[in-house]
Amino acid sequence: MSKKLKLLALVTVLAMTAAACGGDEEEPEPGGATGPTGVTAPEEDIPVGGTLNSAIVSDVSAGFDPQKEYYQLSWEFFRCCLTRTLMNYNGMPVDQAGTEAQPDLAAAAPEQSADGLTWTFTLKTGIMYGPPFEDVEVHAQDIIRAVERTADPEASLGGYPFYYSPIEGFDAFSDGEADSISGLEAPDDYTLVITTTRPAGDIPNLFAMPATAPIPPNPDDPDATLGVAEGHTEDYGRYLVATGPYMFEGSESLDFSLPPKDQPTLSGVEVGKFYTLVRNPSYDPATDTLRGAYIDRYEIAVGGDPVDLLNKVEAGDLDLCIDCGTPPDFLRRYQTDPELQPLLHINPSGGNRYISFNLAVPPMDDIHVRKALNLATDKDGSRKFRGGPPAGDVATHIVPDALLDNLLADYDPYPTPNFQGDIEAAKAEMAQSKYDTDGDGVCDAPECSDILMVVSEASPPYPEQTALLQDNWGELGLTFNVKQFEHTTMYSKCSDPATKAAVCNSVGWLPDYFDAATVIPPLFGTEGLYPAYGNLSLLGADADYLAEYGYDPIDIPNVDDRIEECKVIPFGAERFECWANLDRYLMEEVVNWVPLLFDTNRTIVGDRIVNFVHSASAGMEALDRLALAEGSE
Amino acid sequence: MGRYLVRRTLFLILVLWIVSVVTFLIFVKLPPGDPARRAAGRRATAETIADAREALGLDKPVFVQYGRFAKGLVPWPGWFLNEEVYFSWSNFVPVREEIAGRLPVSATLALGAAGTWLLLGVPIGVISAVRRRSIADRAAMVFALFGVSAPIFWLAQVFLFVFWFKLGIAPGSGLERDATLLESVFQGKFIMPWVVLALAYAAFYARMIRGNLIETMGEDYIRTARAKGLSEGRVIYRHGLRAALTPVVTMMGLDLGALLGGAFITETVFNLPGVGQYAVRAIYTNDFPAVMGVTILAAFFIVVANLVVDVVYAFLDPRVRYG
Repeated sequence: MSKKLKLLALVTVLAMTAAACGGDEEEPEPGGATGPTGVTAPEEDIPVGGTLNSAIVSDVSAGFDPQKEYYQLSWEFFRCCLTRTLMNYNGMPVDQAGTEAQPDLAAAAPEQSADGLTWTFTLKTGIMYGPPFEDVEVHAQDIIRAVERTADPEASLGGYPFYYSPIEGFDAFSDGEADSISGLEAPDDYTLVITTTRPAGDIPNLFAMPATAPIPPNPDDPDATLGVAEGHTEDYGRYLVATGPYMFEGSESLDFSLPPKDQPTLSGVEVGKFYTLVRNPSYDPATDTLRGAYIDRYEIAVGGDPVDLLNKVEAGDLDLCIDCGTPPDFLRRYQTDPELQPLLHINPSGGNRYISFNLAVPPMDDIHVRKALNLATDKDGSRKFRGGPPAGDVATHIVPDALLDNLLADYDPYPTPNFQGDIEAAKAEMAQSKYDTDGDGVCDAPECSDILMVVSEASPPYPEQTALLQDNWGELGLTFNVKQFEHTTMYSKCSDPATKAAVCNSVGWLPDYFDAATVIPPLFGTEGLYPAYGNLSLLGADADYLAEYGYDPIDIPNVDDRIEECKVIPFGAERFECWANLDRYLMEEVVNWVPLLFDTNRTIVGDRIVNFVHSASAGMEALDRLALAEGSE
Repeated sequence: MGRYLVRRTLFLILVLWIVSVVTFLIFVKLPPGDPARRAAGRRATAETIADAREALGLDKPVFVQYGRFAKGLVPWPGWFLNEEVYFSWSNFVPVREEIAGRLPVSATLALGAAGTWLLLGVPIGVISAVRRRSIADRAAMVFALFGVSAPIFWLAQVFLFVFWFKLGIAPGSGLERDATLLESVFQGKFIMPWVVLALAYAAFYARMIRGNLIETMGEDYIRTARAKGLSEGRVIYRHGLRAALTPVVTMMGLDLGALLGGAFITETVFNLPGVGQYAVRAIYTNDFPAVMGVTILAAFFIVVANLVVDVVYAFLDPRVRYG
């Protein structure tokens, strides 16, 4: 399972773990009882200094190797602290441009050629690397080096090189058929020209991702193609040279004059145990408009029990547990106790939860059945198993609203009273199905019995939600053969067509950046078909593909062309409109999902933290915008 | 004795080989998902999976794959847990480095816990044996039942909540960043883990010592000792307890051996960076090289502990002879 999916799963499971203890107590309502999410004071009044004592339950996924890390949390550490990229995000909420890729190493937004195929970035001058290369300036070639490392299948194992495939020559270089990526040129130290094989409106976002953070050349080995990353295919994270406001402790001791195996590792990186970030002396805040960087030092301990760690936060031993989530009993206390309220922050995560139908398995091959199930589902009931309204907004369509500029905020093609399902409307829809032979609104064909539903065993919410669905959908005559799996295995089972699961009800998705291009193509395009994760409905699967996995030939909708239309449109209103239209089309003409929830991220902080800003791009707190109370050590 | 040791050493190798084969089959050949596919990430293609398979050495025939891992288990310079194969698939750190860094933590936990459960279990067992059906015996029974019944993960949480969070009289979980292991011990960081881990074992030991001691105290030589006019204390501690403790040595050796391979739950809940915590993460992420390294280490400790126990037995019990 992908690392970002894992985080989404983990955070939710952890957040829900204690729900069973909650009994029937009334659920807290979201809203005003949460801490402030924007900058709480004018910039000049925000205290500077101190050491943030924090913890993470799960380690980062690849030891902070920028090419391999595919994980929300490590991306935020790269963004906030360690690396600068041509473009980047400001760690602010949506309404403060938090989702817009803005110039970081670039002096300005890139220029796009008239045909949309060439992008030209101009770099700022005078941006220096952190120790041990304080005298080395960041040049365009260093970014090419990073993309070349991204194209190396071993160095980017588990990463996201597929995003860069539109760059001319990227795939050829990756396959070893070329010595360089023809679509990347550095005519001078401060200019990077990118040529794509097709218009790609999201190039600014792609060059905001950590995989494109510059890698310095190795002065002791100028021929090293990958610069200082040469010889560190597996573990560059332990030798990372910073460009951001922070660096790993011990960076000044890095010695790239030695053979890679003999080089000392960063003392601030103890994978699986601790990470320590200290200020980067080369960083010049005057060149950076995107970051806060108020805290002097970040100490991040790895591991522990979420409840114990949250107790530590409450006791003041920790300032923050970054990925602990908020178990319902903590949520209840922090929402109802006036002293604790300011320490709880609830914000949209950018992720969603949904039920997916496999369109190649009867009776889910009938759109009327799928529409009927949308109408019959008690979405509000499902949300209660996740903690009620604080868990997020009920989803009525696919792409989270913030990614569509709220164009579909009021759109609900299957409205039901209080989102609790409408059995009569569902029956009317079911009556049109070929599987309802007598038209009474009840599915009565043999295909309606013993339908395979694959479910996560993580409780709550999944087994509970499954029981609710069986109840809801049972009224339409459907019965299910429920198979429970460990959460990660569930994803494997659902994405493998050979499983022939008709329904997967425990799945969710977190976008890589704020564009529907990171939601719809992997989940609905053929690019998301197995062996990739995502397209569980088999949209676009042709007869050969279906035959390979033992399915009878069947006509399944293909939306690849519609996806491509949207992908090439530059960012802006037209692109939002295109994705929104595709969302509508999927909801009304394809109907392969029951959207359930647009998730929230719930964070409890210690009382030393006096500035908390939700980063819309990260779907979590902006780590560089945290500040500690005046005088904190 | 020499032949016995050789035979047992060969047996030890056989056991480790079987454990390695079973571990390999379970984690590489029979997992619910393909490790290469997992490593290739969510946008895996047939090509990237093939790349991952090659990078992880999974493209080779099964016996070659196993052979690479097996070679890394041979205690030979350059072979043992070599970085070519024993390199974590999830956090990209050499397994040997991780285990070496974590073993002292697990050893500290295991030895401290063993000492604690002996300190608790032996006196309780003796008291409940010599004062049968007394209040002390009943209390010991309750203690034993509680210790055996209370799951460690729950007990650990309760201890943390009560003694650290509510009362503030014990340090919380985890070790301090820059503290040495010795400093951590003196900071009291191991006290709660020792006690929690020891409670379950102490209960077993108390019950076992009670039973053994009651049986021993009925032996003829005890009656003889009493008849010779020895004090009751001397009879119990000099003659009774010594015999009653012999089976404890067996248990102790095995338990300690198992714990040296990592106290999975205790280390996880108390956030102690030991081998057990590493193993839990490795299993969770299906990080086979790490799982293999830890499993073999744990198996090694157990079979060696078995061997040591058997040898020590010969010294403790004159009736035992090996040949």
